Amino acid sequence: MADKFVATNELGSWLAALSDQYRTLVPRREGDAVVFQPFEESRPVELDARPTKSPKEAVFPQCEALLTFAYNKNPETPGRVEVAVTEKMGGAPTVVVGGRPCDASGFFTFDRVYDSERVKDLNYLHRREQTLFVSLVCEKPATTCFCNWVGGGPASANGSDALMIPVDGGYVLESLTDSGGKLLEGLSDASDVQTKQAQSVKSAAEEAMDKAPDLSAAQEQLLAHFDDAEFWEEQSGKCISCGTCTYLCPTCYCFNITDEQFGHEGVRLRTWDNCMSSLFTMEASGHNPRPTKAHRLKNRVGHKFSYYPSLHGGNIACCGCGRCIKSCPASVDIRAIVLNAIATPVSQPEG
Amino acid sequence: MQHLEELKQQIKDKLPELDVVVGWEQGFDPLRATPLFMRKPEDVDRLIWNPLCVHNLATYLTGLKGKKVGVVVKGCDSRSVIQLLQEKLISRDDVTVFGLPCTGVVSIRKINRQLGSLDYVEDVELSEDSITVTSNGQKHAFGLADVAADKCGRCQYHSALLSDAFVGEPLTDQAEDDYADVKAFEEQSEEDKMNHWLDVMDRCVRCYACRNACPMCVCRDHCVAQSRDPHWMTQEDSVQNKWLFQMIHTMHLAGRCTECGECERSCPVSIPLLLLRRKMNKEINELFDYKAGTLIDGKPPLMSFKVEEENINERGW
Amino acid sequence: MSAVDAAELRIVGFLCNWCSYGGADTAGVGRFQQPTDLRIIRVPCSGRIDPLFVVKSLINGADGVLVSGCHPRDCHYSEGNFYARRRLEVLKRFLPILGIDERRFEYTWVSASEGQKWKTVVSKFTERIHELGPAPKINESMVAQAKALAARAV
Repeated sequence: MADKFVATNELGSWLAALSDQYRTLVPRREGDAVVFQPFEESRPVELDARPTKSPKEAVFPQCEALLTFAYNKNPETPGRVEVAVTEKMGGAPTVVVGGRPCDASGFFTFDRVYDSERVKDLNYLHRREQTLFVSLVCEKPATTCFCNWVGGGPASANGSDALMIPVDGGYVLESLTDSGGKLLEGLSDASDVQTKQAQSVKSAAEEAMDKAPDLSAAQEQLLAHFDDAEFWEEQSGKCISCGTCTYLCPTCYCFNITDEQFGHEGVRLRTWDNCMSSLFTMEASGHNPRPTKAHRLKNRVGHKFSYYPSLHGGNIACCGCGRCIKSCPASVDIRAIVLNAIATPVSQPEG
Repeated sequence: MQHLEELKQQIKDKLPELDVVVGWEQGFDPLRATPLFMRKPEDVDRLIWNPLCVHNLATYLTGLKGKKVGVVVKGCDSRSVIQLLQEKLISRDDVTVFGLPCTGVVSIRKINRQLGSLDYVEDVELSEDSITVTSNGQKHAFGLADVAADKCGRCQYHSALLSDAFVGEPLTDQAEDDYADVKAFEEQSEEDKMNHWLDVMDRCVRCYACRNACPMCVCRDHCVAQSRDPHWMTQEDSVQNKWLFQMIHTMHLAGRCTECGECERSCPVSIPLLLLRRKMNKEINELFDYKAGTLIDGKPPLMSFKVEEENINERGW
Repeated sequence: MSAVDAAELRIVGFLCNWCSYGGADTAGVGRFQQPTDLRIIRVPCSGRIDPLFVVKSLINGADGVLVSGCHPRDCHYSEGNFYARRRLEVLKRFLPILGIDERRFEYTWVSASEGQKWKTVVSKFTERIHELGPAPKINESMVAQAKALAARAV
């Protein structure tokens, strides 16, 4: 399909047309934050500033009902209690417009875990199959961007159904998949000038990225530092163990399952879980294998840059979006931690 | 800044007796400072002190209990240290306070509103009354007073109230705080006020950054927000649950909150949390003539009582 | 949840076991007539009342909340109601900023022999709640409305 063009002042009507067929999520300013919300014509779309939250909620909601249950007793047989269980599967055709290439590629991290040979997460897949991504190309990296360190890029096509490239007067749209092409059908073709400009925006974006350091040693070095308590205490000193990094991260996929009961009825909820919380590994006995924030930060960084890659063909479970750095109240910088792990020699035990 | 070298020297002098001293260093870009944990003299050389040092470092004290800790504090931060001492959550012998006078810190959010994005900050120049941010090749100059955190405009405690080593000259001019922002907000109708909270709490992600950044929140694993017994809140991400958490947080801070503002600063989705806590402080001040974190031997009002209350009207029912 | 008679509003009463619950009992024994909107939850002492009981009731659908305990200086446990007095006064003053009408929450002191006073308290409070009308019920549509209003204000 040829490249398409949408003028800035036509963006609203294109999104409105999409909203007729799809749940259309766009970035929007709320307070000082930029969050993904369903498109509304009266509310402006924010495409210049980077979104604070990631769009992972579109496919992996923060709270999802997996099933509802109700306890019933038949007065004839009071010794028996029947449980009526109703499974739930949410999801509707969705398109996310205005996420960045890093956000879309984050879902590959999910897929390797939730859509594997052994295990298929049906609730996740039901949404994943119905969600399309039109990703905005980043013209220039933020000081916190490091997508090219982990195999991504500002104009990467990986994971998106269409790319949206800012040019004079609007955006050039490049279809990457058949479903992506369907989204662009109603738009006019881009002119040659516009197509050329789009190409140069993409190349300029790639050039603007600083050279990525060599992270090939990360997998081994992070594991080598596993018993180095002093190293991790130093790295984690300023962490306050909240959940900001985890909840804003496009690749964090851990969840918790809770039954909430109200009288004789209840619901089984799946909610995002947060490995930075001290309760993450709290066991029923009261023992906690990761009692300190040093343990937990070691796990987070280790998981993303070492354990996950060793289980999944070397793929790093991080898309380099930089949200964790930007939004962290203490400005913990995961890049610095990984580079420190590579650079710091492993302390040899004495004796 | 002239205080910085003296501060570094004071810390280096005391460092041998201490396990760690907490201060600030340059963060990931010229606009961000980040907490620095100094253990060796070389670490102290990375210390900075300027209006970008927004973090309240007292929040790390309860986590470092049992160690000999030094902490660098501004006026507002020192109130948190005093409140922690008042409640005996830290031991005076274990804390060495390096106090500083402060003329205000920058609100990163206010600069964000002016620039549209903080993604491209290349350089920051600070002078006595201005800050110039170079972003995307362009210089933007702001008066420090215009981009200072709201709390600085009404600061009554510019100099650290408690210190083992005070660096610089104590500042004496105090602003007045008449809680005008609280009063202005309350003039709205009940419906408008409730709608405001329903709107802002909707974007809450329940990360608990507000709770963990608060120096007074020490419950950690046992916070009622995450407990099943008592089961205050469910795991549903409804606005009721998220709003109830803020009410819990505010009530549990009644008479303890020192208005450092870290809760609001830490919120990744910029929910205006400080307003609730300021309302609480306003009422506590009116009822009990008490401000948290100002007197080491003060008693938090909700942990004590008087048989005859001066300001509470025994209801005429 | 059981259906509430349309004419009745949901008022929750937290009563201390020793004085106020006894007072309510005395009112019952004396066969005083009073509105039945208020449903009682018995606690050992008004000092047991965590202000969050009140807050959680109000945002989960209660139209009014009443707390009643022993008179100060007469607490069965000596000091419980002194703490309660402070906490509940602070709570009452806190409610306005949330957009909750502070008249929906009240705390009183009723002793075990004050049956007549209990009847007065319940009648007056129920009347007040009826005048205020049902409390806004927070649900998804209300949140959506709040967000739409906020958007228009920008």
